[in-house]
Amino acid sequence: MTNDAANLAIQIENLHKSFGSLEVLKGIDLSVTKGEVICILGTSGSGKSTLLRCINRLLVPDSGMVYIHGEPVGYVKGPDGSLRPANQSMLATQRSKIGYVFQQFNLWPHKTALDNVAEALVVVKKMKRDKARKIALQRLNEVGLEEWNDEYPSTLSGGQQQRVAIARMLAMEPDVMLFDEPTSALDPERVGEVIDVMKDLATRGNTMVIATHEMNFAKETADRAVFIDDGVIVEQAPAVEFFNEPKTERLQAFLKRMLS
Amino acid sequence: MEFEFRFDIVWNNISILLEGVQTTIMLSLLTMLLGTIIGLFVAIIRLRVRRLFAIPFVIYVEVFRGTPGLIQIVWIYYCLPIVTGLELSAFTSLVIAMALNVGAYLSEVFRAGIQAVDKGHVEAACALGFKPTQISRRIVVPQAAYRMIPAIGNVFVSAIKLSSLCSVLGMSELMYQGQLVIANYFRPIEVFTVVALIYLIMAYSTSLFMMFLEWKFAWVKRDKNSFWGHFKNVSRTIFSLKPQGDLTRD
Ligand SMILES: Nc1ncnc2c1ncn2[C@@H]1O[C@H](COP(=O)(O)OP(=O)(O)OP(=O)(O)O)[C@@H](O)[C@H]1O
Ligand SMILES: [Mg+2]
Repeated sequence: MTNDAANLAIQIENLHKSFGSLEVLKGIDLSVTKGEVICILGTSGSGKSTLLRCINRLLVPDSGMVYIHGEPVGYVKGPDGSLRPANQSMLATQRSKIGYVFQQFNLWPHKTALDNVAEALVVVKKMKRDKARKIALQRLNEVGLEEWNDEYPSTLSGGQQQRVAIARMLAMEPDVMLFDEPTSALDPERVGEVIDVMKDLATRGNTMVIATHEMNFAKETADRAVFIDDGVIVEQAPAVEFFNEPKTERLQAFLKRMLS
Repeated sequence: MEFEFRFDIVWNNISILLEGVQTTIMLSLLTMLLGTIIGLFVAIIRLRVRRLFAIPFVIYVEVFRGTPGLIQIVWIYYCLPIVTGLELSAFTSLVIAMALNVGAYLSEVFRAGIQAVDKGHVEAACALGFKPTQISRRIVVPQAAYRMIPAIGNVFVSAIKLSSLCSVLGMSELMYQGQLVIANYFRPIEVFTVVALIYLIMAYSTSLFMMFLEWKFAWVKRDKNSFWGHFKNVSRTIFSLKPQGDLTRD
């Protein structure tokens, strides 16, 4: 392996995905280095969610490969280097290293905030419940919700729920973190608290891929911004350059619409 | 001539009715138990296997939901021993007949409950590295089970009333015992009124018990949730007065 490849957190090669006759991803190639923060921008329906879901195989791509820290997602390498499809259990292990935050939070309503965070530690990492809860409490602390640990999701605001969801993802100590429009389902006055948590994560050297419509957040936080349109990556550049000197007409038009 | 209510006659024969209550309770409880097992079995099969293999179970459910309970009971009572060649007591045959009826309804409750679990909750578990069986056990079933409690309660209440049909086959449960008293004293109004009240008490106790379960396992912090508060909340929804924020539902 070259030094360059060893630095890659995510490597996406020629990813295709269709729903029936609708081709949503038409060959996506993207590499993310360790510790890099990437924002994915694009109009509604351009395939941002589809791309993120193909990375952790919540959706199975039609073709193409995704590697996380060099490991092909959905496959196992045989001793001779050949790939064969991973079974459910191996895929689950791979997914446990890929953090995912959903637009709709998807907290489990029958568990307290604390147990939402602790559950995966118990079930997936086979920790004792006591120890898992201790760690969960620390994670809730990191997102500013320690005192809310014994509340059920239905009594939390959207912003709080999303922060619990982030804590739940953090507890697994994933190699990479994927965020699918984490603030799009929130009341405007609740967006800031989630943005703050994500900015904090970005400064701590985490590898993050964030689909978002929050232009200012992308501008301030992303190392690189990626513009997806019509199933392909139209343009990508360091965030400052991306926003200040967009090259393609399509991105110029998109930014004009979004920033006006 | 003026009609005079003679509830004293019922009162004097209350022990006859209470004997029937015992049988009714036994019939109902066993029916609920066996019906739950059948319902779970059928629901799981219908959720797991491909559509073609589920067809016999679909037919079973539709037949038992779509035909009169009385005919089901009579038919099974006479035919089950013939078909199976077993010598079954009347009690056993009747429990099996009613359990098949209750199981048909419950399987639909279970199936709908499982299917109603938000796909996002499953995806969240999946993304964290849960395996499919862990997702069922930890996320889907506990959530679905809680949400099913009221619907299961409805089926259980109808099971109690269903058991009254067993009187037709000479099972000495509450309805039969009531008719016995009527035959002796020709006082159908009074006897039926009291019998109905006893059914009502049994049915309402079942509802209360289900409400208690709902409260006990509610997804709310204990100190925010008294049973009385929960009771008022549920009653409000039943009488469809202005529903207050129900913390157990999101
Ligand atoms: N499961 C599915 N079945 C069929 N079509 C789908 C499915 N999921 C997504 N699509 C379609 O694929 C296209 C891309 O959807 P996707 O959710 O990836 O877009 P997006 O960029 O995330 O949009 P948004 O900003 O609205 O979240 C849309 O046209 C959508 O209708
Ligand atoms: Mg989306």
